[in-house]
Amino acid sequence: MRALSLTLFGITLASADPLTFNTTPLGQKDRPIILRTYVPDPGLDPAVLSNHGEASKSPKYSPNSGRDVGGEYRMMKVIPAAIAVNHGPALSYVWDTTECRLLYAWQGGFIDLYPYWGEKNRGGRRSFDYGARLVGNLFYMAQPIKRKKPTFIGYDLSDQGIPTFHYKLGDTKYAETILPNDRQYSFVINQGSKKLTIKGKLISKHQGFDRNLKIKSATVKSGQQVFGAYGCVACHSTDGSKGHGPSLKNLAGSTRPIEGSDPVLADAAYLTESIKNPNAKTAKGFPPSYMPPYQLKDKEVESLVLYIQSLAK
Amino acid sequence: MKHSLLFILLSTPLLAAPYKVEDIKFPANVPPEVGGIDFAPDGTLFAVLRRGDVMRARPAADPAKWKWELFATGFHNGCGIDAVSRDKVRVTQMADFTEATDTNNDGIADRYRIFAAGWGLSGNYHETNAITEDGKGGYYIAIGTASHNGPTAEHTLGEYSKFGRRGRNFASVKWRGCTLYCDPKGKLSPFCFGFRMHNGIHQDSSGNLWCGDNQGDWRATTPLYHLEKGNFYGHPSALVWDKRWPENKDPLHTYREDLEAYNKHRTWPSVQIPHSEMNRSAGEPYEIPKNFPHFPGQMLLPDNNSKRITRIMLEKINGKFQGACTHFLDGGGLRSGNHRIRFSSDQQQIYVGQTVRGWGKEAEGLQRITPTSNEPFDITAFNITPKGFKITFTRELEKELAAKDLKFKSFTYQSKWTYGSPQENKTDNKVQSVNHLDVKTVEVTLDKFKPGRVYQLDLEKIKSKDGAEIQNRLFYYTANQLP
Repeated sequence: MRALSLTLFGITLASADPLTFNTTPLGQKDRPIILRTYVPDPGLDPAVLSNHGEASKSPKYSPNSGRDVGGEYRMMKVIPAAIAVNHGPALSYVWDTTECRLLYAWQGGFIDLYPYWGEKNRGGRRSFDYGARLVGNLFYMAQPIKRKKPTFIGYDLSDQGIPTFHYKLGDTKYAETILPNDRQYSFVINQGSKKLTIKGKLISKHQGFDRNLKIKSATVKSGQQVFGAYGCVACHSTDGSKGHGPSLKNLAGSTRPIEGSDPVLADAAYLTESIKNPNAKTAKGFPPSYMPPYQLKDKEVESLVLYIQSLAK
Repeated sequence: MKHSLLFILLSTPLLAAPYKVEDIKFPANVPPEVGGIDFAPDGTLFAVLRRGDVMRARPAADPAKWKWELFATGFHNGCGIDAVSRDKVRVTQMADFTEATDTNNDGIADRYRIFAAGWGLSGNYHETNAITEDGKGGYYIAIGTASHNGPTAEHTLGEYSKFGRRGRNFASVKWRGCTLYCDPKGKLSPFCFGFRMHNGIHQDSSGNLWCGDNQGDWRATTPLYHLEKGNFYGHPSALVWDKRWPENKDPLHTYREDLEAYNKHRTWPSVQIPHSEMNRSAGEPYEIPKNFPHFPGQMLLPDNNSKRITRIMLEKINGKFQGACTHFLDGGGLRSGNHRIRFSSDQQQIYVGQTVRGWGKEAEGLQRITPTSNEPFDITAFNITPKGFKITFTRELEKELAAKDLKFKSFTYQSKWTYGSPQENKTDNKVQSVNHLDVKTVEVTLDKFKPGRVYQLDLEKIKSKDGAEIQNRLFYYTANQLP
């Protein structure tokens, strides 16, 4: 017994490593990794999510005027409280703690958390688009079923870290373990003494998050794209409202008070410096060394400068 | 030349920060985004990191010699942690409060159970949660709001409210912007309402419950709140989850148009902490334990957005807390990102957990603060009197203070829908008299002294009798009431 647990402990040491800055972590076939995050909804039948609340479109709000400004916020296609599990390329699946069931499965990769976790040195998330992206081939999606109200209890990990999910339907308890098998587009569900082999077929292919903006020439529009892609709005408003950083409205061409030195004209050179080397000058009233230096391509910086200039009257 | 150098050396004030700040490193390549820290009863320190891992280590004197082990994994942005024992932690993650236990003693948690669930999660990045123990096996849980700089999901965890979705920071799903009580069995109930982002909550040794919040909409400046059951603390969105608020009434719209009604309904902060000058973004308040050599019994409030920690001196006037703030530590090797505090078991060191992930330049990690000298020369008690203040210093004054050594002015704040509010109704409050009660204590009376204002004290560069320069020269007292 001791020898066995020592062997297993050996596996534990070798495999249970902490997460790193890598935004596409992968488990192994016999030692999965488990992540809780906002996983994508790859197009599930909404009836599958019948125990969720239903959000509605809401009017866009201007924090500058304190009023609605027309238009509506788009909602994001993510599942809020699900568990994502990966057995390396052999199997990935999403098991939901609200519906208490497997929602979908894929092979060939796991998820790309780049839009949520960001890069090592800044961790910026994509403002309205931070849901993790699938990597691999989606081959199974749950269909609606009629069941009693589910309640999630929790999960146990085997010595290899394989989860068994526990839940209740009404007052009856259930346990469920999902395992890879060696076949394409297939996996196994153990439910108590029942063992089900599921065979799916290719639904869609996924390559993670496309962060290649492919800007051919710098324009105001491409600047707006960069501004959105890097989540700049989290600190810099475009409507004059206050935030962690200066608003970009009417910034270009204005005279900027600087901490500890003379005011400067916000010309293209100043804007470029403020993006490439944001801590060279600190705008008055804002904390020093707060904005990270983004590793942007020249075309992206040029685009941003044009966009910022377009926000001045 | 020699002479003047000697003079400079001799006159160098004893003003170096009286603390050593050390960086406690996590293993290489582990993102040190510290969502929460807690000591288990055996002295093991646990840290929940925001990507999902819970690490544990026994504190070592040498900050480079900590042996971190991975204890548990798979949490979504855990920002509250209770280390129940070396083998059991409870973590508030985005969707729920989960207990993780190592049942077979191999060092890795293998049993994950929902300890409490029932608050909603809209899919927004901003909806983190924090906890404090109630000392009787239960907890208070701070449930943060969502930000308009991010969306909601189409399908939410929990019931959705369209009126809760309005405005800058919003509470579109159940109990967002509320503080919950969690009984020892995990049953949840709303305790009080109206928070924007109380990133940190703390029950002090007398059983008083405290939280800060982040300056922003409905937050004129950084507040410190004393939490009492049923109260409304001023951020309207969460009112949709207060059963006393009428259904189908938009709280944002209601109070945007009627600040008078808003001011009547809300409980004001015990201390209003000027945003730029003191604390830009409050983390977890934490009482300084009685054996810590400096300022025991006072409150620390870490600044999540600057390299500083605020010190708060509280008193009870007419049954309600109010008080003064200044810096505990401003710089001195401290990072930004400060939001969690724990004292070592001997109460001699402070651990500070730090993260700002996703907001600005990274300020992530864990630091340890150790006093390197006696209590600095500073104000240690700031008490209100009917006509001014009684101020007590930590050491004997070099000489009696004159009116010119103490400059007072005052102002008001009005929270509203804007992101922060300016200091308004500014007045200079002339010092009318200075009366020395003893060698450490001075009483001042002020002109135009009225309640409902924040009083700013700018102190001259004064010295103690033993030659130390004053540590802090800027103080703010929130005079909600006069005695």
